[in-house]
Amino acid sequence: MTVGSQVKGCYSSIKSVEASLEILANKVQDEQAKQVFEQVEQIISDVKQDLHYQVIELSKQEPQY
Amino acid sequence: MPEWIIVILRSLTLIALLFFMIKWLGTKQLSQLNIFETISGIVLGGIAAIHTIDPNTNFVYAAIGMIIWFIVPYGVEKIALKSKSFRDFTEGKSTVFIQDGKIMEDNLKKEGYSTDDLLEKLRDNNIFLASDVEFAVLEPSGSLSVLPKRENLPLTAKDLGINLSPKKEPQTVIMDGKVLLEPLANLSLNTNWLETELDKLNVAIENVFLGQADSDGQLFVDLFDDHIAVPAPTEMPLLLATMKKCQADLELFTLATENHESKEIYRRNSEKMQQAIDLIYPYLK
Repeated sequence: MTVGSQVKGCYSSIKSVEASLEILANKVQDEQAKQVFEQVEQIISDVKQDLHYQVIELSKQEPQY
Repeated sequence: MPEWIIVILRSLTLIALLFFMIKWLGTKQLSQLNIFETISGIVLGGIAAIHTIDPNTNFVYAAIGMIIWFIVPYGVEKIALKSKSFRDFTEGKSTVFIQDGKIMEDNLKKEGYSTDDLLEKLRDNNIFLASDVEFAVLEPSGSLSVLPKRENLPLTAKDLGINLSPKKEPQTVIMDGKVLLEPLANLSLNTNWLETELDKLNVAIENVFLGQADSDGQLFVDLFDDHIAVPAPTEMPLLLATMKKCQADLELFTLATENHESKEIYRRNSEKMQQAIDLIYPYLK
């Protein structure tokens, strides 16, 4: 497996984590827990953006994919 | 009128009277009653018993006696609720038996407790060594409340400095295969959610004996058919595992890449992921 596909795999995992967190934040009853879920979701969203940039960079470097 | 009919009528009336009186006198447990309340309860029962089986007594006397024995304890209880000094008088005060780890012999004597009685009461509280106790007090109801010394108290999350997520009470949402709508609404969930969760578990609602949902919206079920294994909810552990995997991946990329700029981005994001995991860990556990 190339680095490019590994990073892509990680990127999709991050996206799934973000979605799960959003579901939980909407479902949970406790106000404090809701805030924590939203806060973590924000961090994950930042990581996702950085990774997205990396995915684009890598696909430029490996034009065959 | 034959006597046996009189007995039946008297019994039914007295049962009804006694039932309402005991109900109004409060729902304290028998062990929490003080001496006065216990005795008035016994007297009420006694009056009812005597007048039930003896048709020759005057039934009006029974009613008067019972009402007096009801009204006085009832009034005493109501006044005691309002006034602290009156409460101390009627319900009694608690007596300190052990203070700062030292047994108060005078107080023991005053309450008529022997050393054996004290040790027995301590053993009731799972304490076998009197020196393990910091503070012990005899309640007016006759039970001994014990505060063990700090080092003998059970270890709590607070002592260990562990951060725990707050948990609300779980709700029972399915009973005997039927959906209970009110508890479901308390969790702001609906029947659609329930159907989806049951579909995920691959069980029919008729087969569910008991279903409970916690405040995080996880469903736990017990089935009528005990041969079917129900998977435990995996959503939260799975999420935590995925987050850990992503964090590990990012660390791996940091080590693997040669590009300096990319290295920096991976390192920063892996730190962010670690921070996110630390934040959310108590809630997903």
